Amino acid sequence: VVRCQLSPPQRPLQASAVLRRVSDEQKKEPLASSSQQQFDSHPTDHQPEEEPQGPRPSYTGQGGQESEDYESEEQLQHRILTAALEFVPEHGWTAEAIAEGAKTLGLSVAAAGMFHSDGSELILHFVSQCNTKLSELLEQEQKLVQLGEAEKKPTDQFLRDAVEARLRMLIPYIEKWPQALSILLLPHNIPSSLNLLTSMIDDIWHYAGDQSTDFNWYTRRAVLTGIYNTSELVMMQDSSPDFEDTWRFLENRVADAMNMGNTANQVQSTGEALVQGLMGAAVTVSN
Amino acid sequence: VYQVFESVAKKYDIMNDSMTLGIHRVWKDILMHKMNPSPGTLLLDVAGGTGDIAFRFINYVRSVRERQLQRKLKHHQNLSWQEISESYQEDKFKSLGDSQVVVCDINKEMLKVGKQKAQHLGYSEGLSWVLGNAEELPFDDDKFDVYTIAFGIRNVTRIDLALQEAYRVLKPGGRFLCLEFSHVSNPLLSRLYDLYSFQVIPVLGEVIAGDWKSYQYLVESIRRFPPQEELKAMIEDAGFLKVDYQNLNLGIVAIHSGFKL
Repeated sequence: VVRCQLSPPQRPLQASAVLRRVSDEQKKEPLASSSQQQFDSHPTDHQPEEEPQGPRPSYTGQGGQESEDYESEEQLQHRILTAALEFVPEHGWTAEAIAEGAKTLGLSVAAAGMFHSDGSELILHFVSQCNTKLSELLEQEQKLVQLGEAEKKPTDQFLRDAVEARLRMLIPYIEKWPQALSILLLPHNIPSSLNLLTSMIDDIWHYAGDQSTDFNWYTRRAVLTGIYNTSELVMMQDSSPDFEDTWRFLENRVADAMNMGNTANQVQSTGEALVQGLMGAAVTVSN
Repeated sequence: VYQVFESVAKKYDIMNDSMTLGIHRVWKDILMHKMNPSPGTLLLDVAGGTGDIAFRFINYVRSVRERQLQRKLKHHQNLSWQEISESYQEDKFKSLGDSQVVVCDINKEMLKVGKQKAQHLGYSEGLSWVLGNAEELPFDDDKFDVYTIAFGIRNVTRIDLALQEAYRVLKPGGRFLCLEFSHVSNPLLSRLYDLYSFQVIPVLGEVIAGDWKSYQYLVESIRRFPPQEELKAMIEDAGFLKVDYQNLNLGIVAIHSGFKL
């Protein structure tokens, strides 16, 4: 097993203990000598420069770039975090859960030291995973509609279903989710968590068929964000069977939002009617 | 190097306190927090002579374990008496949760002082003392979860060999941690530091330990030691990944960390 060290080309090639070949795990014999020459002549993409605090794995992009065949450290980190999720109900969103996850992959528990000790990365990883799952779900639904196999849902129904689907992903972790929410609000996490939230809301509106390019774009995002956050909070305290109360709350909020749009129009037209009435009255009086 | 430490062993701790004005305790505490070991961790502390890191490790793991047990008890509110008594049985004997630390040092005297300290402070379980050379460790491959070397690596003649050995004995996923004096880049602090090192420390050495030469050597070895970036490159050369360092006190001391991935 050969791994290419990056910066100075003079570095001796070392065997990597854990990073495995992404292309295939079944193949036993790696091409030793030929790959050596290959790595020597093509120094591959530079690893992101490490600051004293260590790099944070990126959530919006793909994994880091490294030699073509081996997984990067980021991909390994993602694998560890995914494995750690199953220990969350027991240990919470903590470094302990990450350590247990690392153990299942055959790594030492010390590998959890790669992450922040408050479990932030685990939560962000989970949120990012949920958002991806939601996008895929919406994508599939859209395809069905395009193929004519399903009816296009009215907007309020669409929003309700999308938010419900996304909130349901929290159910296995619901007991520890309040803890996760509080960690996401820590100052050093806010940029990432806000980013994830806004891109998720964007996604939902995109699949809902939102084409607006005007001021409406902002109001729609703000409204849906409000609906999502409040529903999430309601869900934390909900003890009804299958969270019925939460879905009803969600339904009401979405309906409110829809009405708001209508009400705005109504107010405008009422205003206009009122003004005309007053004008008429004024004319009558003056005559 | 051996003789330096032979003469220094007994007064090692006192000298540490006086030279660094007690801050070395804080540095070692920070190292332990960075490690954040969970119960069940196997630690190898190299050049750990008088056991400072080892004792801190045991304390840390014990308190983590206690918290774990408390949390478990809270969850046991709904269990039957039978189940509760069974869980008490299994947890009772694991106050350290299977964590262990092996202290390895090249110098018998340092180990002796360490063992005495352990007895004196009441540390008994989870601790072992091994005589060994950092450049050629008497351990099998892939054994330890964490390898630490606190203020020891600058005394190793072939640092690259020590790093390679560290890589060898660590399990996949294992962590390398090195606490060491390093390079101060701030010019003002650098001058003050130099003044303190060359004027004050050997004098303290003479007064407290009766040994000017050893402490002169100490200060010079600090100056000769590679700075942060260079050490980081050496660690990467040995095969470690995700190598980074954290400066403490503006660079007087630095903690380097790497993973065997």
